[in-house]
Amino acid sequence: MTGTLAALLSRRLLLVTGKGGTGKTSIAAALGVLAASEGVRTVVVELGSSDVLPELLRAQPAEAPAAESREPQPVAGGLFILRLVPERALEEYLELQLHVRMFARAIVGNASFHRFLDAAPGWRELITLGKLWHLASLEERAGGPRWPLIVVDAPATGHGLSLLSVPSVVLDTVRMGPLRRNTDRVHELLTDAARTLVLPVTLPEELPVNETLELRARVRELGVGLGPVIANGVEPELALPDAERALACVAALPRGAPSPLADPGVVVAAARHRLARSKMQREFLGQLARATGDSPREVPWLARGVDGPEGVQSLAEELRGALA
Amino acid sequence: MKPEGWLDCRVLVTVGTGGVGKTTIAAVLGLEAARAGKRVLVMTIDPARRLADALGTGPLTHEAREVPRERLTALGAREGGSLAALMLDTKRTFDELVERLASDPAARERIFANPIYRNLSDALAGSREYSATEKLLQVHAEGRYDLIVLDTPPAAHALDFLDAPRRLSGFLDGQFLKLLLHPAAVVGRASLRVFRSGSEFVLRVLERVTGLEFLTSISEFLLAFEELLAGFGERAREVARLLRDPSCGFVLVAGPDLAQARRAEAFWARLQSEGIHLVGLVLNRVHPWPAPGAPPPDDAADAARAERWLADAIAGADRELDAAACARALVGAARAQAALARRDTVVRQQLERALPLEGDAFCAVPLFAEDVHALEGLARIAREIFGRRDHG
Repeated sequence: MTGTLAALLSRRLLLVTGKGGTGKTSIAAALGVLAASEGVRTVVVELGSSDVLPELLRAQPAEAPAAESREPQPVAGGLFILRLVPERALEEYLELQLHVRMFARAIVGNASFHRFLDAAPGWRELITLGKLWHLASLEERAGGPRWPLIVVDAPATGHGLSLLSVPSVVLDTVRMGPLRRNTDRVHELLTDAARTLVLPVTLPEELPVNETLELRARVRELGVGLGPVIANGVEPELALPDAERALACVAALPRGAPSPLADPGVVVAAARHRLARSKMQREFLGQLARATGDSPREVPWLARGVDGPEGVQSLAEELRGALA
Repeated sequence: MKPEGWLDCRVLVTVGTGGVGKTTIAAVLGLEAARAGKRVLVMTIDPARRLADALGTGPLTHEAREVPRERLTALGAREGGSLAALMLDTKRTFDELVERLASDPAARERIFANPIYRNLSDALAGSREYSATEKLLQVHAEGRYDLIVLDTPPAAHALDFLDAPRRLSGFLDGQFLKLLLHPAAVVGRASLRVFRSGSEFVLRVLERVTGLEFLTSISEFLLAFEELLAGFGERAREVARLLRDPSCGFVLVAGPDLAQARRAEAFWARLQSEGIHLVGLVLNRVHPWPAPGAPPPDDAADAARAERWLADAIAGADRELDAAACARALVGAARAQAALARRDTVVRQQLERALPLEGDAFCAVPLFAEDVHALEGLARIAREIFGRRDHG
């Protein structure tokens, strides 16, 4: 294990984010699979209402839903998943602070407190980060971290940035007390690039690339470390030698192909489509490389899709190549 | 409803998950309505720069900008038709709302100075969604447009934004909030009873675990907002009315994604229960099969036969080409295209089953290899949706 992968796996917390629809969740899951296969015990965390990791990573449906669990649930050797629900994390936090479970339940169950929480700003982000910090700081009895690597399927760009900026806001307004102490610790973890990195996932298309560049600028302003950009869904180049001449030749062929797959009209259209798509994708990848001064790590588009453990496994292998 | 009929709505809302091309489709709907002679405004959340370049509006801002008349004329727009676009800005929308609803300058300044307000109006639960609907209400009330196309923020669950007004107005009542806002008053009036209440207990405990300062700053934030809350609630109800009005139609934009198609039925049920009118569905970025009929099923023997025939034919026609390599690449491309086209057909069938839309309310837009964020690209999509072959 060398290069970028080793650098990523030496971190404690990887926050995978990017524009909606770029495949953040699949990349986070694949990164978890890859890390576990490298012998790093990893927990992949999904946040709030998202609940797709069990389907993505497990061959069989879970016996007990991971939803309400506080502890990461094992899915494979060295690989765990956790669904982090702010309300549950708040209950857990109150319990840790109060040492009495019943009290915490009573508070979180209070109806008017609920209405308040529904609208109050920032606490979801804060408690989410608090729980991540808690996971990152847990130690094994024999020493060493209980969770050497935490991969978070973070919210899409806008909300992802809110998540990262909440600690600074709290530190600006709160000067003392337990909340200040806890937020200080969270902030310290987030802004320590030796432990925490944001991994932007993008597609080689206009809007995702623009959003990635804006995301990087904002993350930098917040003092949080940035990992390489992962370009997902890169369509493979068509290995057609002397393309224009070949296409002209085929277009002039007589009809009578034994299969639609050899029909001159079909193959020329399919090849032209692929060539044009590749050209457009190359332009956006080039734009990304010029703007960041670093080539994006390209993950090819998988025709079969990534909707279960097999797809994630293939994606993990591609990711291994991309991060070499 | 046929796509032409969509344009008779006063408000069209494009909904869908992130990355399916909602913004582009919203622009296309706006462009088409303007061509038909309507005065149109497209409201988007995306800083879609190339889209703005294509439309010639310059960078999109919070204020509406007109598409130059000559571009519309070039696209065959009728006299009287106009198209403007604006980019929604959550912070600005909230600022405007505060400006309008605050009773006096001091109250306004208190809110603007609050650090939680300054930094977190984006993180306020559902605030992006709320600001989209708030701006819609404002513009709708002005009555300057025949049609407003609202491109909604991407939500993991496409309809989250319907909940936003409700959530923001829902927390107005509630003892806990009152305690936070006026602890002294409440305790003073009926100290014993309130002291024993659950909320008082909650407050005491939270004070212990978070520190008084945090509660104070949240209280200040809410206090500053308190006088706006009644106005908020009224606005929320107005938005809800507008979105359910028969003149408001929702267009679902979807990508050819199986998981999403599977969730479509739940989505439909939700729309129904909300009293929302779904007028159509655009299945975007469908892989076209470049021949009449359905793409052939995947068959390795068929592919091998095709490759042999093509290699022979190429070798016979042009001896300088590497016939075997060309045939491999070309049949490979055709086979991949067939696989994608087959998958897209399955998605389409699933969506058609799940959504009881009439057949003509359903349209598929192919994935173009070229950049669609140019005027010609938008016109091509419009031709796909509206089935025109005349102009371009």
